[in-house]
Amino acid sequence: MIDLSVWIGKLHLPLPTLMGSGCYGSGEEYSPFIDLSQIGGVVLKSVTRWPRLGNATPRLVPTPSGMLNAIGLQNPGIDWYLEHEVQKFASRPCAIIGSVAGFSIDDYGYVTERLARRDEIAAVEINISCPNVASEGETFACDPKLTAKVVELARGVTDKPLIVKLSPNVTDITQIALEAQAAGADALAVINTVRAMSIDVDAWRPRLGNVTGGLSGAAIRPIALLAVYEVARAVHIPIIGQGGIETATDALEFFLAGASAVSIGTANFTDPRAPVQILDGVREYLRKREVQALADIVGKANVGFSNAHQYEGDEG
Amino acid sequence: MVVPPSGEQAAVALGVYEAEGERASFMLAVCGPRTRELAELAVGATIDLFGPLGNGFDLSRTYEQVAIVAGGVGIASVLLAAQALLAGSARVRLYYGARTKALLADAQKFTAAGCSVHCATDDGSFGHAGFITDLLAQSDEVPELILACGPSPMLRAVARVAAKRRVPAQLSLEEAFACGVGACWGCVVPIERSSAQAPRFPHLSTDGNRADPVYARICKEGPVFWAHELRW
Repeated sequence: MIDLSVWIGKLHLPLPTLMGSGCYGSGEEYSPFIDLSQIGGVVLKSVTRWPRLGNATPRLVPTPSGMLNAIGLQNPGIDWYLEHEVQKFASRPCAIIGSVAGFSIDDYGYVTERLARRDEIAAVEINISCPNVASEGETFACDPKLTAKVVELARGVTDKPLIVKLSPNVTDITQIALEAQAAGADALAVINTVRAMSIDVDAWRPRLGNVTGGLSGAAIRPIALLAVYEVARAVHIPIIGQGGIETATDALEFFLAGASAVSIGTANFTDPRAPVQILDGVREYLRKREVQALADIVGKANVGFSNAHQYEGDEG
Repeated sequence: MVVPPSGEQAAVALGVYEAEGERASFMLAVCGPRTRELAELAVGATIDLFGPLGNGFDLSRTYEQVAIVAGGVGIASVLLAAQALLAGSARVRLYYGARTKALLADAQKFTAAGCSVHCATDDGSFGHAGFITDLLAQSDEVPELILACGPSPMLRAVARVAAKRRVPAQLSLEEAFACGVGACWGCVVPIERSSAQAPRFPHLSTDGNRADPVYARICKEGPVFWAHELRW
């Protein structure tokens, strides 16, 4: 029996896969197509202090090897969410991780405190990196001091594991990662979507109602992998690698780069069986190499053997 | 949602065109890499799909006179409805429009099923030269119900004609879909809060403080909506 389990703070996940926030509803939406006990956990769609309508349409644009989205954090707000939604999560046969977004530092403390108090919620993701809310939301993830303040405040209101979701749209992601770690994050989700846009050349206007959006899917996988690799070398807390993971090989790249777990989002849109196929492939890979535990390969990409310098003279 | 076998492309949302026993068929227009991949499948190839998803035309009442409006590949979503209406003894008129004659596929299937078929093409190569909704507006018969599937500008025109002639209309909407199962809130349309299809979230209003409208998911609450309940 190969051990795929992972610890996110004091949360023990038997399987190292989470379904990305905003991509999977609360899990119920996918239950006709997949056994939720086989997927690890679901990160719920982000909830905010007040209800949010979300962005104007269109909200989705297919792009090469990926897609743009600009949903805009549509959600019913924390009051209604706690009263009508959260109790439904108790019966899910997988870990349920809440997600909190905000427009002020206080928002994060207020919503995290109320959400984390509920038994149905095993951990909380702090989404400081939504690219689709007129860049207000992402402001936090782009500023080390604001990141620290938000995480400190959330840390002060709950003992449950806190996962801080980082933005790739920054100059140095390791600096933000270190601030989040110092402020009390139990884990880091690396990365959120990459800011992007698309223009309709017939209509002379952007294809997204919000003008800009977040790029996800295979197109951003190498970007995400580098971010995980760099963050893993900077911090000691677990990393949940995410960004275009579609196959077991993709997931293994992230584990070798330093992710303890991975999150799957856009791949579910192509094939709802993707999480199970990824886990099957990872098990098979470890079994063939006689590795007993997934944790044994985390961060083990060997980067010490480069002999590129030998050719410096020849190649210029 | 039909999954292109390469796995490199997102799933394509298709309506069932024909169904008989254990066979179902789909019709698609090649308009990008995903539909091209599906169109180039060899005979005997295997594809993955998940569904059925969402809610189709509501034909729970019986009707005597129904108009069906189809634009382009929208024809693929109305054949089963036409057959069901005809089986229930309704008279069905099909208004079928496309850019050009070559894109008017399978009109004879509707004729054979017992519909009266009226066509329009943008370039005048077959039938009325102009919009199919011109024919709907000019029709001497006022149907009890209009069903429509096609591009968004056509559906909006159908909604206008239906409102003017005071005929209830069911529109099958299309958008770019991501999940197809109601999880991602990508494919939304503004709808009256009082609609039976409005999501239950009480606070979500598309214009601030007013009560209406709210966003409904085309993949989950739709894709078929009552025209008079849409606020688009």
